[in-house]
Amino acid sequence: MAKIIIPSPLRRHTDNRREIVMDAPDLATAMKGLLDQYQGLNFITEEPELLSVFVNGKLVEGGQEKWKEVALNDNDEVTLIIPIAGG
Amino acid sequence: MMEKNQGSNLANIEEIHIPKQLWQQIKDHCRRKLEGKYLPGETKVKRAYGLLAGTVHDKFASCQKVFFFKKNARMVEPLKSYMDSVMERYAVASKTPLSQRGWITDPEELRQCYEMCDKEGLTAIGTYHMHIVPWDHDPLRDTPTKLDRVLAKNSSLYCFIVSMVDPEKPIIRAFYEGIKEKEVPIVFT
Repeated sequence: MAKIIIPSPLRRHTDNRREIVMDAPDLATAMKGLLDQYQGLNFITEEPELLSVFVNGKLVEGGQEKWKEVALNDNDEVTLIIPIAGG
Repeated sequence: MMEKNQGSNLANIEEIHIPKQLWQQIKDHCRRKLEGKYLPGETKVKRAYGLLAGTVHDKFASCQKVFFFKKNARMVEPLKSYMDSVMERYAVASKTPLSQRGWITDPEELRQCYEMCDKEGLTAIGTYHMHIVPWDHDPLRDTPTKLDRVLAKNSSLYCFIVSMVDPEKPIIRAFYEGIKEKEVPIVFT
């Protein structure tokens, strides 16, 4: 099972959990499972250009359209990053 | 490694504690950037952007570490287009061109920052950036602008504003998600 790592600012939407374990064959399925389980996180896909997803520390290029092509294996770590910005 | 942290309490705290040496590091960072002195690999813009991390308690957050961001992804797509659109809509007119305003973190640099926070048992408390130009209606510039508020929306972080209008008398104030009405006092420890 893969682990989704939630950065601390987003944990208020995941009952303060840092790691969410997902039994999913690919990234698209894992992300759907995550967003179904923690609906407060759905805002992260509203502006898709802001969401970066890393698998085992490597950036997944190509946006959400590519998620189905990213196979997940046991102990893979998926990290979600929403950039932070200031004026 | 902690399975849980106390990040959810950030919105409800009543004080933020910043050790004096951390405040000094933030001031040094801002002054160095204002002087146009850059580190290797650092984006060459006179903007300082960083993250304060620490621990969150029932009534207060205690800052313990500062991360100084080096890379501004402001000119990197797709973040550039996002920032351009937000700037055009919300930024107040200024002598600085819109393309040179704003800082958005490089995703990989931020990933490493959060990873280090987790390893050290720290929670991200907020980000800081500086305001340097006085406005007629806001000479100190020590509060968030509408743009700051838009950029901080949904961040679940404090927006620390460092006024460097007078670099000899810097001011720092903290606003949850950049909302003026959600200011929390800072205590220097």
